[in-house]
Amino acid sequence: MAVNGGEGEGPEAHLLPPSMRQPSRTGDFLGKHRLSAAITRLSQEIQFLETELNELETTETSAEACKEVCSNTEDKSDALLPVTPGPENPAWHRWFQRVRSSQSRKWWTNKGSSDSS
Amino acid sequence: MEIKNDTDLESLSGSSSEPTLSYDRARDESVPVPSGPERLASHASSPSRSHFSRGSFQSWSRGAEGLELGSCSIEQMSFPELKERHAAATATVNSLRERLKQRRQQLLDTDVVANYTRTQGRTAVNFSSTDLVCCRTLQGHTGKVYSLDWTSERNRIVSASQDGRLIVWNALTSQKTHAIKLPCAWVMTCAFAPNGHSISCGGLDSACSIFNLNSQVDRDGNIPVSRVLMGHKGYVSSCQYVPDRESHLVTSSGDQTCVLWDVTTGQRISIFGGEFPSGHTSDVLSYNVSSKNNFPSPSVSVSSSNSNMFVSGSCDATARLWDARIASRAIRTYNGHQGDVNTVKFFPDGQRFGSGSDDGKCRLFDMRTGHLLQVYAQQHNNNEPDFPFVTSIAFSISGRLLFAGYSNGDCYVWDTLLAEVVVNLGKLQSSHEGRISCLGLSDDGSALCTGSWDKNLKIWAFGGLRKVI
Repeated sequence: MAVNGGEGEGPEAHLLPPSMRQPSRTGDFLGKHRLSAAITRLSQEIQFLETELNELETTETSAEACKEVCSNTEDKSDALLPVTPGPENPAWHRWFQRVRSSQSRKWWTNKGSSDSS
Repeated sequence: MEIKNDTDLESLSGSSSEPTLSYDRARDESVPVPSGPERLASHASSPSRSHFSRGSFQSWSRGAEGLELGSCSIEQMSFPELKERHAAATATVNSLRERLKQRRQQLLDTDVVANYTRTQGRTAVNFSSTDLVCCRTLQGHTGKVYSLDWTSERNRIVSASQDGRLIVWNALTSQKTHAIKLPCAWVMTCAFAPNGHSISCGGLDSACSIFNLNSQVDRDGNIPVSRVLMGHKGYVSSCQYVPDRESHLVTSSGDQTCVLWDVTTGQRISIFGGEFPSGHTSDVLSYNVSSKNNFPSPSVSVSSSNSNMFVSGSCDATARLWDARIASRAIRTYNGHQGDVNTVKFFPDGQRFGSGSDDGKCRLFDMRTGHLLQVYAQQHNNNEPDFPFVTSIAFSISGRLLFAGYSNGDCYVWDTLLAEVVVNLGKLQSSHEGRISCLGLSDDGSALCTGSWDKNLKIWAFGGLRKVI
């Protein structure tokens, strides 16, 4: 729906048949300018998509990424794993050590059992 | 996202108060987009394409697509002509997107990592029943826990709850160091600043509030808000500080944008995404908003290895990779999920990321190539109306374990490499009694914190016999 009426027309414009009314230049220009801007953005999107499609044909397969995932994962020490490369950090054990809170007389229980808050 | 109406792509422009870079894919470099009115006429990325300048509309041809356009100015072209060209360009974009999707589908192998790992002779991580134990239960919230975040100094956690409060915990002693009653009770997300002195939160007030934990409390004993980040037009569902930049925060919102903020000034640095129209009422540009009425999404995750990169998960079933310096367009869009992407997290190597979705599955994507590397899915009856969906994910520090919380209270520990569930924390004796809504690893990776609709947070650590090789 084109922007009609209002701008660019005289006060008696509404008394004239539509074919004789002065076109709303400002409204049309604004609408066309916005549309042109949208077309520009679409054009840019088309280029991006074409580039991505082209890249897809030449990009390395996921096998390379798999190798990296495996090697990156297995090289790092991880406190939550039962078997892990070192070094083991003594701080990992803090969750099971006795901790005296300054605001409480409670002591945490030993490793392997749940808390007693 | 298919363009349903002619200018859904208005959103791709993004807006910023400062000049932004536009990523020129053909040249593989960022080039500045002119500011002011000229920004509406973005430059083209190859010499054969047009350079649009203000007030003119030069030609570009689409060769194989058969769209030949003549050179003329806007004033010379009629509105219907422009509409026709717009429709043609829209159709081209939709067609290209479909081709891209299909091509990726042809290349798809959902078990790439697991198949590869098996050929290497690896076996799944083997936990005994007492290896991963709940060693703390943090009680204090009187409503569902929605979000949590650890500090980088290992032991402190901030949590946000339906009770309208943020609580800062010393996870080691279970003590609450701060309890903040929020001005807006409808909080959805919270985050700790890298220096551990500030926390941020956001929610249904569409704003992000910052609190300095060292501030003097007011007469009600509350920490006052030190800054409010306003500008989102929908709820704030996720926030995260940029790891090596104290003053930068990324938020994601129900208005379908992500925003990078300067916390010091309260200003938006950049806005990413967005599917709102310009507000024009023409039938060419019509309003198109998707609604989201269940679990809050989208989410955002900043890479710890390259703080310029972040990933957002969206309710259009995609995840998107963004360069914080380039607001105009996502670097890449990742398809594959069949439901809203509720949660995204970078893999520890910073080159991959995981996502969890309403479709009940998690996925591992390769950031650079866009390949889907692995799907993590439990078998369930597809005819079930309410199969559990993924609420939150986190990787262990090596990436070998993927923790995934689900809407039915399960918390699967996936062996990331073999794509097998090795433990279900939701079925252990000391597990939560409700849905797990949020997960997070401590900075040294020695503990996992889970937050639940049962109002509690729990800390899990490895309590078995560890073999160091």
